[in-house]
Amino acid sequence: MAFLEINHLEKHFGSTRVLEDISFTLEKGQVLAIIGSSGSGKTTLLRCLNFLETPDQGSITLDGKVLFDANDPATRAKQEIRKKRLHFGLVFQSFNLFPQYTALKNVMLAKELLKKESPDYKENRKAIQEEIRAEAEGLLERMGLSDRMSNYPQQLSGGQQQRVAIARALALSPDILCFDEPTSALDPELTGEVLKVIRGLKGSDSTMIVVTHEMEFARHVSDKVIFMADGVIEEMGTPEQVFDNPQSEKTRQFLNKSREEY
Amino acid sequence: MTELIQKIIEQFPVVVGSLNEGFLQTLKLFAITLIGALPLGLLISFCSKSSFAPLRAVTRFVIWIVRGSPLMLQLLIIFYGPGLMGFPVWGGGQSGRFWASAVAFILNYACYFSEIFRSGIEGVPKGQQEAGQVLGMTRGQIFVNVTLMQMIKRIVPPMSNEIITLVKDTSLARVIALQELIWNAEAFTTTSHGISGAIWPLFFTGVYYLLFNGLLTLLLGRLEKKLSYFQV
Repeated sequence: MAFLEINHLEKHFGSTRVLEDISFTLEKGQVLAIIGSSGSGKTTLLRCLNFLETPDQGSITLDGKVLFDANDPATRAKQEIRKKRLHFGLVFQSFNLFPQYTALKNVMLAKELLKKESPDYKENRKAIQEEIRAEAEGLLERMGLSDRMSNYPQQLSGGQQQRVAIARALALSPDILCFDEPTSALDPELTGEVLKVIRGLKGSDSTMIVVTHEMEFARHVSDKVIFMADGVIEEMGTPEQVFDNPQSEKTRQFLNKSREEY
Repeated sequence: MTELIQKIIEQFPVVVGSLNEGFLQTLKLFAITLIGALPLGLLISFCSKSSFAPLRAVTRFVIWIVRGSPLMLQLLIIFYGPGLMGFPVWGGGQSGRFWASAVAFILNYACYFSEIFRSGIEGVPKGQQEAGQVLGMTRGQIFVNVTLMQMIKRIVPPMSNEIITLVKDTSLARVIALQELIWNAEAFTTTSHGISGAIWPLFFTGVYYLLFNGLLTLLLGRLEKKLSYFQV
């Protein structure tokens, strides 16, 4: 059984069908790239995985556990959503860092709040705080931001902000880390530094889903590529299959168009 | 002219003593209104955003009533209303008048504050809330740790306006004979503390209001500056 299994996911906004019969699997440690033009449903798919949207149909199974099944009311309970969200991390296109906190605090906050709920928090407060801080510092270091920890988001470049956002998502050690067009809000210069960081995560046992417009990145970093069009999976396969030997006419058109841009 | 000045100098200690007493009452009303209306306003703003439609409707209705009618009228109704209906809750003394004023002011200002809070909360980008959600925070945690600070920063200028207006609005409580600053000054135009027909104390109250509001403006400006370390 695959690590992540998505079965027949469907999502409507009013009468508009945004996702239709989305099914795919992903193995642990793999990187999935989702490509496709704007409005094809890529972002909605990621938002469904992170429970920011509730699918109308279908199921999400992670590591053998059914996290969501549209036909099973028990898995739709609101109280459970919060726990389920922790299986997934999401890096936003627009970073969404908390502006009132330093880079370090941005990375620490969620874990602090989570740990505060554990019964032994009061006794071991200091030790737990130290541990969270050390972890956060380690993550920021890994992102190449050792000298930026005490800066506020507004004092950082877009690329630096996005790297803080990646560290923030990693701090909760999600099973699957999702990226929603992580470089779309960045200049070409800054895009590189963020992609490098994401590439660096591969192989460290991180399972990742990356929605991206960076075709070269998708081709070289992913193990699996999904091309989406009008809410359906138009094509799915290894990067070689999808990029070099696309079967669908829509995929070919899309790839040609994105090549012309260069 | 010199005669008038001489008279003022003569009367000054007595008048200032009385005005100070009135100003203390003004300050008390100001403080209790803030203490009550800030949390109540936040609560009302939550109700007016509630996903439960009836609660939302009732809240919007109350806000309409309170903002749509004069504060002076509300003071009169809250002070005299219960007695007229056979429940004299306030009593006739200064303390009853003070608490009736406090209730009227807290209600009135809470409604205004609630609208400012609402705009402040709605001004925080949705992505902030979503970022908190995907990090596994609860709604309460998101509000306290993410939204609140950004809301406060957004609402400092409009809140400053309301707070300064509140200082001056406290003078409306004289309509139910609360002996605040203006009331005490006005008393000298007839007879008070052995002084009769003096109108200058009334003018002199302006100094109190101006100085106090000047101080508040400084403090609120400092708060705004303190919050400038981040951008929203």
